[in-house]
Amino acid sequence: MITVGIPRALFYYYYFPLWKDFFQNLGVKVVLSSPTNKNIVNNGVAMAVDEACLPVKLYYGHVLDLADKVDAIFLPRLVSTAHKEFICPKFMGLPDMIKSSGIKLPELIEVNIDLSRNKRAMRKAALEMGKHITGNTIRILKAWNLAVISQRQFEHIQRSGGQLTPQALELWTEETGNATLGMQQEIPKVALLGHGYNLYDRYVSMDIIHKLQKMGAEVITAENVPDSIIEEEAARLPKRMFWTLGKRQIGAAFHFLKRPDVKGLIHIASFGCGPDSLVGELIERHMRRAKTMPFLFLTIDEHTGQAGIVTRLEAFWDMIEWRNAQCQ
Amino acid sequence: MMKVYLGVDVGSVSTNLVLIDEQRKILHTLYLRTQGQPIRTVKQGLSRLENVLSQQYQVAGVGTTGSARNLTAVIIGADAVKNEITAHAVAAAQIVPDVQTVLEIGGQDSKIIIIRNGVASDFAMNTVCAAGTGSFLDQQAARLGIPIEEFGELALKAEHPVRIAGRCSVFAESDMIHKQQMGHGMPDIIAGLCEALVRNYLNNVGKGKEILGPVVFQGGVAANAGMRQAFRKAVKQDIVVPKHFGVMGAVGAAILAQEAVQRKGSTNFRGTSLIKQEFATRSFDCSGCANSCEVVEINMNDQVLARWGDRCGKWENSLTNVEKIG
Repeated sequence: MITVGIPRALFYYYYFPLWKDFFQNLGVKVVLSSPTNKNIVNNGVAMAVDEACLPVKLYYGHVLDLADKVDAIFLPRLVSTAHKEFICPKFMGLPDMIKSSGIKLPELIEVNIDLSRNKRAMRKAALEMGKHITGNTIRILKAWNLAVISQRQFEHIQRSGGQLTPQALELWTEETGNATLGMQQEIPKVALLGHGYNLYDRYVSMDIIHKLQKMGAEVITAENVPDSIIEEEAARLPKRMFWTLGKRQIGAAFHFLKRPDVKGLIHIASFGCGPDSLVGELIERHMRRAKTMPFLFLTIDEHTGQAGIVTRLEAFWDMIEWRNAQCQ
Repeated sequence: MMKVYLGVDVGSVSTNLVLIDEQRKILHTLYLRTQGQPIRTVKQGLSRLENVLSQQYQVAGVGTTGSARNLTAVIIGADAVKNEITAHAVAAAQIVPDVQTVLEIGGQDSKIIIIRNGVASDFAMNTVCAAGTGSFLDQQAARLGIPIEEFGELALKAEHPVRIAGRCSVFAESDMIHKQQMGHGMPDIIAGLCEALVRNYLNNVGKGKEILGPVVFQGGVAANAGMRQAFRKAVKQDIVVPKHFGVMGAVGAAILAQEAVQRKGSTNFRGTSLIKQEFATRSFDCSGCANSCEVVEINMNDQVLARWGDRCGKWENSLTNVEKIG
């Protein structure tokens, strides 16, 4: 049986169930790179182009982690996943960046995913991916259709089940299906906004989610907001937001502003993130104008010293508790 | 003996100790340079206070803050451990009850805290760049051969402050040199620098914040008359500089200690005898996984007091007799 490696980075946090299921349905063993650790960070930073953001640099480290363990690495070129919307340009160049990095690579399963003009382009992309494994078109399409069901389930656990992505990934792999816990309304929530690959990578985010939970906050993210609400809220912008991830963040921010159980909002961005320099600014302006809840902006990069993040998180939580005490 | 509360703020540049009484009146303040040795400096500070502590006062509670707050808390036996943002807000609200804006500039960091109706509602702290904090002023004073104490006074003599680029301390320095070589007077250049730093602070740290009075300016840099004047000019209103502006973090920690002791009833303070104890720290790389975390261990007379630095909590949680602080 051949093995296909998937880097535990970037869009792993959005599409892993889809990719894993697809390859498994074709009889392939899927291997994930290790969770981000010091070696992966060091290797990634050393190999990547200077100008890249930390998440892209980490991708190099995860590819290297897989390079000698698998027969092939899945390396999609994500241009667009929705009509008239785009993913950050760095993702478009990712396969080229990796190929010119000097890493001794196994076979690459490359595919162009661009649904900006035509939704049916996905079928063609699936066939191209499957071609690396089998020549049987019907088998490939069947594997794809089943994988799409898994992906929907994974998204459902987050959107309606109130599960954070890391738990959703776990629940999904354990095949417990639609386990929904739902959130308790009384617990004050802190909304975390940011790209999934920053928020849910425990190493990179310095485990912000657990730090907040330890302080007593319940964490809610943009992934917990149903798609229809995101569309509706993001449509309030005077100009359409064409960054897919940016749209989700803006839509979620507008939604959280209206919710009485959300007591504060934290936006986390990588140092040097292009789309976030605009999206973050928009969110911040709306937050300040609304004046209904505290807002904190955190920049993350290669730091391993946690003191700066801890100080800000603690002060932020103090502020929320202080306000709550006064309200009661 | 009179009950007092001790606040200790161990920052990157200075270590401050403050004693307050039950009515939160400030009795003693002590300002020491940390010089990269937090444990030694804290012990030194306590030994300076030992006389008054043993004769007149009884320490009823201790609070720590600053970047070395956790380390200090373990050494001293603290009742409250708080981040410096909260500590500064608490102290400002105590001294100026209706305060709405707190500007704080220390040695390495600067922050702004917005307070509305007695409650912190927003804050910001400088991120990657320390331009415009105390260290940079220190460095420029040294370059010009002016004692830092006189630096600010000189700015007040300016008749026409020159424009200095304030975004980056490297740009600021080269701009200052250019102006000086053109023949501009020292007071004008120094006043220009103060205005540039204030502009930089308000644009970066204070970005988008509504600065309403009363405005309190605290932290070590508040000693600088030039900076005080530049702030007054920039925010177009008067600025309150508290009497103990340099040790406000420690004042906040002491107040929080009083509140903590009221809640839990007794103090964890080890007593001034801790000056004579041997505290040692040791660090090692954990080999449990690929993260190889740098774990720090704090010992008192060969007994392990605390460990931290591990991401997974394996070492941190391995001690059962760690005193609970909170």
